[in-house]
Amino acid sequence: MSMKDTDKKERAVKYKWGMVIDLDRCTGCGACVVACHAENNVPFVGKELSGYGRAMHWIRIERYWEGEYPHVRARFIPVLCQQCNNAPCEPVCPVYASYHNAEGLNAQVYNRCVGTRYCANNCPYSVRVFNFFEPSFPEPLDQQLSPDVTVRTKGVMEKCTFCIQRIRRAKETARLDGRAVRDGEIQPACAQTCPPDAIIFGNLADPKSRVFRFSKSPRRFRLIEDLGTDPSVIYLKGGGHEHVR
Amino acid sequence: MGIKRRKFLQLTGLTAAGTMLSSCGKGTEKLIPFLIPPDDGSIPGVANYFASACRQCPAGCGILVRVAEGRAKKIEGNPLHPVNKGKICARGQAALQDLYHPDRVRQPMKRVGAKGSGEFTPISWDEGLSLLLEQLNDLKKQGHADRLLFMTPRLQGTLSELVWSFMSVYGSPHHLAYEMLNTESYEQANVAVCGRGDVPDYDLEKTQYLLSFGADFLETYLSPVRYGNAFGKMRQSRPTIRGAFTYVGARMSMTAASADRWLPVNVGQEGVLALGMARLILEQGLYSREMVKNVEGNPEVWMKKLSDYDLHSVAERTGLAPEEITSIARDFATIQPSLALVGDSVVFQSNGQDAVQAIQFLNLLVGNVGQPGGLLFCSPPVGQGSTSSFANLLSKVDALERDEFHLALVYRTNPVHGLPSAIRFQEAFKRVPFVVSFSSIMDDTAMHADLILPDHTDLESWGDVVPWVGAHSQVTGILQPVVNPLYDTRSFGDVLLAAARGLDGEGEKVLPYKNYLDMLKQRVQRLIDGSSDTASEKNWVEILQRGGLFEQEEAVLDVPQKKGVSPVPVREPYFEGNKEAYPFHLALFASPVIYDGRNAHLPWLQEMPDPMTTAVWGAWVEINPKTAESLGIKHGDLVMVESTQGSVQVPAVIFPAIRPDTVAIPMGQGHHGMGRYADKVGVNPLGLLAPVMDKEHVLPAWGATRVRLTRISDKGDLTVMGHPEGSYRGELLEI
Repeated sequence: MSMKDTDKKERAVKYKWGMVIDLDRCTGCGACVVACHAENNVPFVGKELSGYGRAMHWIRIERYWEGEYPHVRARFIPVLCQQCNNAPCEPVCPVYASYHNAEGLNAQVYNRCVGTRYCANNCPYSVRVFNFFEPSFPEPLDQQLSPDVTVRTKGVMEKCTFCIQRIRRAKETARLDGRAVRDGEIQPACAQTCPPDAIIFGNLADPKSRVFRFSKSPRRFRLIEDLGTDPSVIYLKGGGHEHVR
Repeated sequence: MGIKRRKFLQLTGLTAAGTMLSSCGKGTEKLIPFLIPPDDGSIPGVANYFASACRQCPAGCGILVRVAEGRAKKIEGNPLHPVNKGKICARGQAALQDLYHPDRVRQPMKRVGAKGSGEFTPISWDEGLSLLLEQLNDLKKQGHADRLLFMTPRLQGTLSELVWSFMSVYGSPHHLAYEMLNTESYEQANVAVCGRGDVPDYDLEKTQYLLSFGADFLETYLSPVRYGNAFGKMRQSRPTIRGAFTYVGARMSMTAASADRWLPVNVGQEGVLALGMARLILEQGLYSREMVKNVEGNPEVWMKKLSDYDLHSVAERTGLAPEEITSIARDFATIQPSLALVGDSVVFQSNGQDAVQAIQFLNLLVGNVGQPGGLLFCSPPVGQGSTSSFANLLSKVDALERDEFHLALVYRTNPVHGLPSAIRFQEAFKRVPFVVSFSSIMDDTAMHADLILPDHTDLESWGDVVPWVGAHSQVTGILQPVVNPLYDTRSFGDVLLAAARGLDGEGEKVLPYKNYLDMLKQRVQRLIDGSSDTASEKNWVEILQRGGLFEQEEAVLDVPQKKGVSPVPVREPYFEGNKEAYPFHLALFASPVIYDGRNAHLPWLQEMPDPMTTAVWGAWVEINPKTAESLGIKHGDLVMVESTQGSVQVPAVIFPAIRPDTVAIPMGQGHHGMGRYADKVGVNPLGLLAPVMDKEHVLPAWGATRVRLTRISDKGDLTVMGHPEGSYRGELLEI
């Protein structure tokens, strides 16, 4: 098969990346948070800047309290970029740094970004983080930095990419083999590490994929869905007393 | 213009290549290394994965390390490893920062300033080793070999053998393998109830009703990744069954937050609840007949023994409603398989031993021991070293106070930070004339050392790891160096072997190994076929590629053999500090993020929000909202926590899920030393603990201290990631 044919075949495959997070499995342990830091060269900022709300986590575990002692419950919900199909962050960028790619990702072009922070301001999920300062990786911590991902500089907005470097790698491999990307072949760092397997990633355009099947679960909901953002991240409701027996 | 286009391009090309090379560190200044591929077969731009094992906590998970251009980039779980099955927790992943920590000890160091001042001067390995040998040989020549104290955590595999052999050759019986979160108490109780002294595995995955008495199995207890994975399966992997989970404990931990039901029982009364449930199960005839026959028990006798544990008095003692107790007792007995776990907040009470026995008896009663979905005792893991007893620790402190130790070697443990000061260890330890630390970072104990012979970090080392629990088969994970050592450090194993060779005496005969790797290979070969040859190269490479020896067949489950078991009454707990002056129970818990403090130097973890409070970079005290209101304490205020032993100042977190008579502080912060990211961050609450113990069993009771709270100011310096008010708006998200 010539390269041209494989290219054609690859173009014929439709990808729409999506994620399902099962809150009944999620234990709030935070393994995903550190996995994301390691995979994506996300800097740490220290206590003072964290206090100003400038910590750079691309994924965070929100914790909600419900009820009062002794009938109190805590809920965990991992929040990352929801990769909205109608993304509020995109139309406000004056330099088209925030745009929508053909596979449903809200991509961020770092070298277009001029740091207006309009996108973060417009994001209802607060998942965009801004480099207020030059990130610091005191030697030799910089040796850990992944060569697959850039280190963003001061004045640049950044956010979850669904580990686009892993998506690219898998697509390249698949193209060389003359096939489509297999279901489960791509795992973002958070899904790969998640001890209770709460995160499922895959192609929502493929009705046979695991992520598609789970996205139709009766437990499904999406974050602040009534805003009409049409997120690609689908949550499955956690359990409660009502589920027991 | 003198420069032509061609010349210009050549020049810029060379400059670019030169820049790339100069950023690659040692040994690559010339062009040659890039034209000739490096020996390790790495290709620029293509990452390799090396299998290894994790030693960030005793769970012993298997890892894969992504290495590109000779540098470790990322740690992932090893899918072949039977304990963690391709998953790995935050702490395991942060081991990368252990390797690349900017404040590592980069070469051997000798103390120059006053003891504990942290002033050291770099020395060579020759000088360092001869200093160590001089100390060892001097002591031995004087006939005082038994004045050597060796402190380690619980060791495994080759290291355990090595330290044991070294100590016997040298002639000192004083190897202390003790850390605060010790499993001794579980082991004692299991002997009493099940006739087995090892820690069992819990088959969470297959259970249908899980009841945890203070066991935080999703964060710090035994094997969090394994149990985290099993928990996910328990909840959602079976088409028609969702495993139920009830948590009993005074504070809602991260694990408790995942429970369907949280029962804030009176502190120290968990055992009473278990016996009360046992009585109800006996009364209603819901116990397992088969198990009663197996252990030759007599339900009528048991009933008589439990006469004090009627529903009314149990409800009164535990502070729970009678309906709650009957409903969990019925569920526990009828939803089968069920499983009761017991954790540190129960164990470290003055009646902890009784409580653990009561809870294991409860498991036995409904037939959970040795059945799928219950407690599994398998063949004990080969190569799991033993832990020292609390009694042993106390006797060592006494000996230190009598100046009986002249030389102390400290490996991979940080007792100056990690032991409660009430047992007087820290003061006594300062009396040792010569302390050698093998720490790769200047931790609290290394600060007090006279000589530091830095070990490699885990990603630069050879070694083997025997998982604590969770392998239904024999498992030994192999640690291999995934990168070249960054600094002039040496493997602890090699240093100890060199020391053994340098001893006047039989060192060489007992430990005849070329190096530590040689010793490791011989042990692996023994595990494979019992022979004493070194593992053949082909076998060895295969083992390294897999990440260890994983015997895959299901092991035979042991059904308890102990006969004539009967329930033991639970003593009333004792608490230090009277109720009027010190109104609150102090619950210390191992941090889900930095465990007992061994991971506090890793900035990823310091900045990872604590799951329950979302606090970062520090410690805090958790207070019930009603209690805080009555004391005028607000979120983020600076609060003084005082016990009969001492006091700490720490910011307050208003925590809706803790008993009003209890306050909780995470362990692990407040280091003096341990690098820039841990030094003086937060406070160490261990100084508050009173030296209460269960005298009958000689076990510590770290949960038996009472405290009082005083508001100091509104400047608590608390940093939380979640908005305190937003935390209560869950309805926004429709969850």
